[in-house]
Amino acid sequence: VDAEAIGIIGYGQSVYLKRTERTLFSLLAEAARGALATAGLRKDAIDGLAVASFELSPDNAVTLAEQFGLTLSWAYLGTAGGAGPVASVINAARAIATGHAGAVLCLAGDNYDVAGHYRLMDNFNRALTNYVTPHGFGGANGLFAIVQRKHMETYGTERAQLGRIAVGQRASAMVNDNALLRTPLGLADYLDARVIADPLRLYDCVLPCAGAEAVVIAPLDRAPAAKCVRILSGYERHNHPPHEPLPLRGGWELFRDDLYRDAGCGPAEMDFVQAYDDYPIMVAIQLEDLGFCNKGEVGAFLARHTFAWDGTFPLNTGGGQLSCGQAGAGGGMIGLVEAVRQLRGEAGARQVGKARRGLVSGYGMVGYGKGLSASSVILERAS
Amino acid sequence: MRAIGSGAHMVTGAALSYPQPREDRDNREFLAAWQEGRLLVQACGGCGRSFFYPRTLCPYCWSQNVQFEEIDGKGEVVSFSLVHRPNHPAFLGDIPIVLAEIRLSADLTLIARIVGTSPEAMRSSLPVELVPANEAARYPLPTFRPRAS
Repeated sequence: VDAEAIGIIGYGQSVYLKRTERTLFSLLAEAARGALATAGLRKDAIDGLAVASFELSPDNAVTLAEQFGLTLSWAYLGTAGGAGPVASVINAARAIATGHAGAVLCLAGDNYDVAGHYRLMDNFNRALTNYVTPHGFGGANGLFAIVQRKHMETYGTERAQLGRIAVGQRASAMVNDNALLRTPLGLADYLDARVIADPLRLYDCVLPCAGAEAVVIAPLDRAPAAKCVRILSGYERHNHPPHEPLPLRGGWELFRDDLYRDAGCGPAEMDFVQAYDDYPIMVAIQLEDLGFCNKGEVGAFLARHTFAWDGTFPLNTGGGQLSCGQAGAGGGMIGLVEAVRQLRGEAGARQVGKARRGLVSGYGMVGYGKGLSASSVILERAS
Repeated sequence: MRAIGSGAHMVTGAALSYPQPREDRDNREFLAAWQEGRLLVQACGGCGRSFFYPRTLCPYCWSQNVQFEEIDGKGEVVSFSLVHRPNHPAFLGDIPIVLAEIRLSADLTLIARIVGTSPEAMRSSLPVELVPANEAARYPLPTFRPRAS
């Protein structure tokens, strides 16, 4: 199959919940059913399955196939944390292009809460467990607080600039019924919130929650053109830079030029960006590394833009993880699903007026100080 | 690994022990040395680079000729955070935890805790040193304090 004729033809999302008795399988199934329905596909059309989930173990992509009654020719278990879901879409498209699968369901989700997040991070990998957890690091918060202070002191970035990300996304969340945090958030609320890990305060941090996201990857002739989204380009990188614990950059800077070259368009031609928003500081670093501004100049960029769905720079237009909640590895797919929704013109009250093309970025798998993985795709509506 | 249970919050931090590293063949020497207040990092016999955390091979050149060597543990703070919500109740009596990136030499930094300071006194570029040997065993990993410059 011609790689350019493969894209995203369906999307789904479960309800987001602060806490639930429901199982992880139930949440993944809800997102999966939605994705098949919007793709217009029957369950038996799916012969490829990718899943990214922190709490799925001891289950995996193949045991999930048994749970869901799927027979597969291609199975993929995400390993790149919040970068895994975007990476799974890149790999699913390749699997279809090379004839390993006809239609792939990509799933991401988790069912946890604040205590679950700490347990997860304490045992995330041997480097964290052995050399960071025993210091009382406060989960990811303690590490990204160091990154933020370093960015502020190196480049003069200010909290009042970073706060514009959280404030803009909250405005989008207020018109998203599935966002868990929908009360108005002003810059003063952001600045004065209680300290979590100085310089991070409450609205710099995500709310761990339960939820799942899904997309269907298939040849574009499987669905009406108006429902199809092209994948213009996609890249992933892991462990960059390799020997720095707390860098102010990530893998995006390595593939940025290839990403735009393959897509045939540049950052100025994106109608929206869905960036991985575990913290505003990491959104800011992605915007730098992906060329929306120069390294170190994101503070001024943030100051001159607004970031709600109807702002000058539509960013995480459903509210993102910062306002919807972080459903574990689902946080790596929430932006992808929102991008597909926007490009199909199905975003309702938060529809970006001119949504022809957008960039989706993933980030995750915290190792000894940094998120090890970065991934990005550029998507375009087919019609 | 100790689970975070709701009941654990009823206990004061001092009554709980800090979460411990898992000892293995690759880190045993490093962990034992710290119990005596000594900081070991690995030096590569192949390329001459030093690195932290303990690994089974040199992450720069893949040489297996890597040896632990003791360093003086004097360095300076690159950046830091003040953690008010620690990951484990054993730290609740110590908040805020001062978590820092510490530069030990031109190309060697590590993540560690700084004690014996107030949050107000913390700043980037602060000179630090290891806590005295007789206090080391209280902490699971090499831990630092401000150094008189």
